[in-house]
Amino acid sequence: MTIPFIKYSRFWLFLSAAVAIVSIVFLVIWGLKPGIDFTGGSLLEVTFEKNRPALDKVEGTFSELGLKNTIIQKTGDTSLIVRTNFLTEDQHQLVLRQLRSNFATDNTMREDRFETIGSSVSTQLRTRALWAIILVNLGIILYVAYAFRQVSRPVASWKYGLLAIIALIHDVLLVMGVFALLGHYFGVEVDIAFVVALLTVLGYSVNDTIVVYDRVRENLLRHNNENFGDTVNAGLNQTLMRSINTTMKTTLPLFALFFFGGMTIHYFVLALIIGIISGAYSSIFIASPLLVYVEKWQRKNA
Amino acid sequence: MLIVCSAIVLPGQINRGIDFVNNKANLGLPKLPSNGFNLGLDLQGGAHLIYQAKTDAIEGKDRASAVEGVRDVIERRVRGGLGVAEPLVQTTQVGGDYRIIVELPGVTDVNQAIKMIGETPVLEFKEENNTPQRDLTAEEQKQLTDFNKAALTKVNQALADLKKGTDFATAVTKYSEDDSTKNNVGDLGFINGDIYPEIYNWAKTAKDGEVSQKFVSSTTGYNILKRIAQKDGDKQVSASHILICYMGASNCDNAKYTKAEALTKITELKKTATIQNFAQLAKDNSTEPGAAQSGGVLGYFKQGQMVKAFEDAVWNVPVSTIVGPVETDFGYHLIYKTGEQQEKLYDVARILVKTKTATDIVPPQEQWKDTGLSGKQLKRAEVSQNNTTGDVQVSLQFDDSGTKLFGDITTRNVGKQVAIFLDGSPISVPRVDEPITSGSAVISGSFTLSEAKLLSQRLNSGALPVPVELISQQKVDATLGSDSLVKSIYAGIIGFIAVILFMILYYRLPGIVAVVALCLYSALSLALFKLIGVTLTLSGVAGFILSVGMAVDANVLIFERLKEELRLRKSLRGAMEEAFVRSWPSIRDSNITTLISCVFLIWLGSQARGFAVTLSIGVLVSMFTAITITRTLMRWIAPWFNEYGNWMFWGHQKPEVQPETELVKK
Repeated sequence: MTIPFIKYSRFWLFLSAAVAIVSIVFLVIWGLKPGIDFTGGSLLEVTFEKNRPALDKVEGTFSELGLKNTIIQKTGDTSLIVRTNFLTEDQHQLVLRQLRSNFATDNTMREDRFETIGSSVSTQLRTRALWAIILVNLGIILYVAYAFRQVSRPVASWKYGLLAIIALIHDVLLVMGVFALLGHYFGVEVDIAFVVALLTVLGYSVNDTIVVYDRVRENLLRHNNENFGDTVNAGLNQTLMRSINTTMKTTLPLFALFFFGGMTIHYFVLALIIGIISGAYSSIFIASPLLVYVEKWQRKNA
Repeated sequence: MLIVCSAIVLPGQINRGIDFVNNKANLGLPKLPSNGFNLGLDLQGGAHLIYQAKTDAIEGKDRASAVEGVRDVIERRVRGGLGVAEPLVQTTQVGGDYRIIVELPGVTDVNQAIKMIGETPVLEFKEENNTPQRDLTAEEQKQLTDFNKAALTKVNQALADLKKGTDFATAVTKYSEDDSTKNNVGDLGFINGDIYPEIYNWAKTAKDGEVSQKFVSSTTGYNILKRIAQKDGDKQVSASHILICYMGASNCDNAKYTKAEALTKITELKKTATIQNFAQLAKDNSTEPGAAQSGGVLGYFKQGQMVKAFEDAVWNVPVSTIVGPVETDFGYHLIYKTGEQQEKLYDVARILVKTKTATDIVPPQEQWKDTGLSGKQLKRAEVSQNNTTGDVQVSLQFDDSGTKLFGDITTRNVGKQVAIFLDGSPISVPRVDEPITSGSAVISGSFTLSEAKLLSQRLNSGALPVPVELISQQKVDATLGSDSLVKSIYAGIIGFIAVILFMILYYRLPGIVAVVALCLYSALSLALFKLIGVTLTLSGVAGFILSVGMAVDANVLIFERLKEELRLRKSLRGAMEEAFVRSWPSIRDSNITTLISCVFLIWLGSQARGFAVTLSIGVLVSMFTAITITRTLMRWIAPWFNEYGNWMFWGHQKPEVQPETELVKK
């Protein structure tokens, strides 16, 4: 049984483009919500033994101390997460003392987590993250071009690389779009972990595309008198079970982490899951049909 | 071939068995740290601090070494002061900025840690400041003289009244300026010599009911006194002792004896010691510092001032007995009880007429003034114990200039107090009994052992060569950390089992082989994490869990290929080899892209590093296990199913084997 992927490629490409455009729209309208890793500031997580105080009261405590721009969220059953400006150690202790005296007189409050990041560190992280993204992309393009150096007919090797990157951009856009949505509706922030997930997705997406292209390449070397579209379609069918199985097996542990791994890495894992599934999808439904189109286009212009 | 294969496989299996059980056992327990994994801060709790060094004042080329100096000092402070066994203190340069990253796993009191790291203890020696801020003006001088003259007239008037037969109580009401006693017939209550030495000295020679004929001057003014009653205070005992300390005893700097020798020595001394020769024996034999001069004389002490064993030995024996040997932390003591007395307390009433001194009109700027001696002239500081009281103290040894300064200070302040200030507040205000020229001093605040240790370590570690500023901190509570740890392990196990089930159900026998390889993979990776000392963070665990999925990817590629090749009616053996060979480029290429991402993630630093390190180790190990191990196992297993190939277990069986396949095989 062969599934005619290439036959319906117009539909899939349209769908993918739509997804990418919607993601871009989300990104333009809402943008990503940068976390304290990139903006500087503090994050404080506290757990109350009982009677978690009301959010506005906690906010009152912070504004008493002259701390503006404080965002307070509930997390778990008894905990609060507070985001505010960069705090010096003295201010940090003052905040704790004030919180304890206001809300923990007949209650206990435990400080679970405290992060404060000064502007110089966040600036560094921001530029580094940007550079990491640029360099990873560059590295992958170069490698793909190198890996496909022997196959230059009927499509030049650098075009494989380019198409792999287009598929990859789709995956990254999708992940970012989802996080723009999450950021807008649930206040989910984008931090270093998100960049990590993004870069992992980059590697993974290309990985998937490479497997499919490898098979196409092999088929081309073996019997090169077939129609190019059929060769690609055969390659897709041959690698289909592998794509599905691998994605399943990678996402199974990730789903386990997502559901049981605790709040701290919840969104990190979510970004990975979306990216990896999308990576498998884009190899089949974007990278391969585009390869056929490129070949057609070349013939027309030859 | 088979022998070679089994030779490769079997040790692998044995090792795997050992490793796997090991690691599995570790994994099952929530308390990983004791088992040797390097857990990150987010899993065991702790703090991650980033300091910025303020290097503006330092010339460009010296900056790096100055910052290294800061790193060393911080590391000493953290290791010694906080007792963090595995602190990570490293410097990084970001643009022109130098930063010091401090990781403190397991530290609960981060506030204390931050104090320890960032603040230099300022130790200062100060002397009494008796000089007024400025000289009195002529007018003020006259004012002072007039005031005191008036006071003298007043006190003499009171004395005259008393002589005339005025009742003491009436005189108190009329003349006394002591607000706290004037409404209580001037009664100070029972006093000892510590608070009112002048009054106590008068009371010692007076009788009950006696009123002083003249006034007694004290620091606050003129006193007319009346002794009301006397009573016994606490029992005091005086003693001399000979100390023989031994190696390992507290404060025994130049140990001459082992413990057994010390006991022999003290027993011998006990035999020869008499009341007459005790002082000489002490001078000749006692290892107590200064015994050669003092002859071991301790003077009077109250209950609780000496170490328990010493006090118990001497407290209730008659005067003039020699007891011992007594063992304390300091060594063996032979003790001669020289006296016993009740401290006398006197109930005294007074009429106080206040006088003024120059400092009352123009107060001294500070109670204490600087001497120029500080922690900078310190050679070293160490914890010691007071030989007699057993109190914990910090001993200081000054360098040459410090020794000279300290000698001068103690010489000019004999009989006065010298204050030792730490971070701006006095921690010890000893009285100088005699000039000290040896360059050693002792701070005897009421320290606990750990406080004294902390102080001595802080003093020893010295000042930071460059000031630092805390620009970022991350702190995770241990409870949250272990919670995350348990959760991620739980999730990891569930994910692992899911993958195993999937593989076996879908690929059957090769699936089982892959699972074996996967187990080996996990064991190997975990062992590597341990060996290389990879710090496992939450994101690192996620990276590992993700790599489990990726490790299977290689096998999936191979097995899918195997199925295909078998469908083409190749022999099992041939199909197998073909599958491995043909899948290799895909496996290699896809892993390399992952590794490219990882390299830059490691460079990105922060949490990214933990993730990328475990993921790349995972990817590298998986290339080995998923290919080499699986292939070896498959080659080993294949002959069991000797119908050259296709048997029930394989994904797609082709029972009707054509003769041509046999040809292919040979």
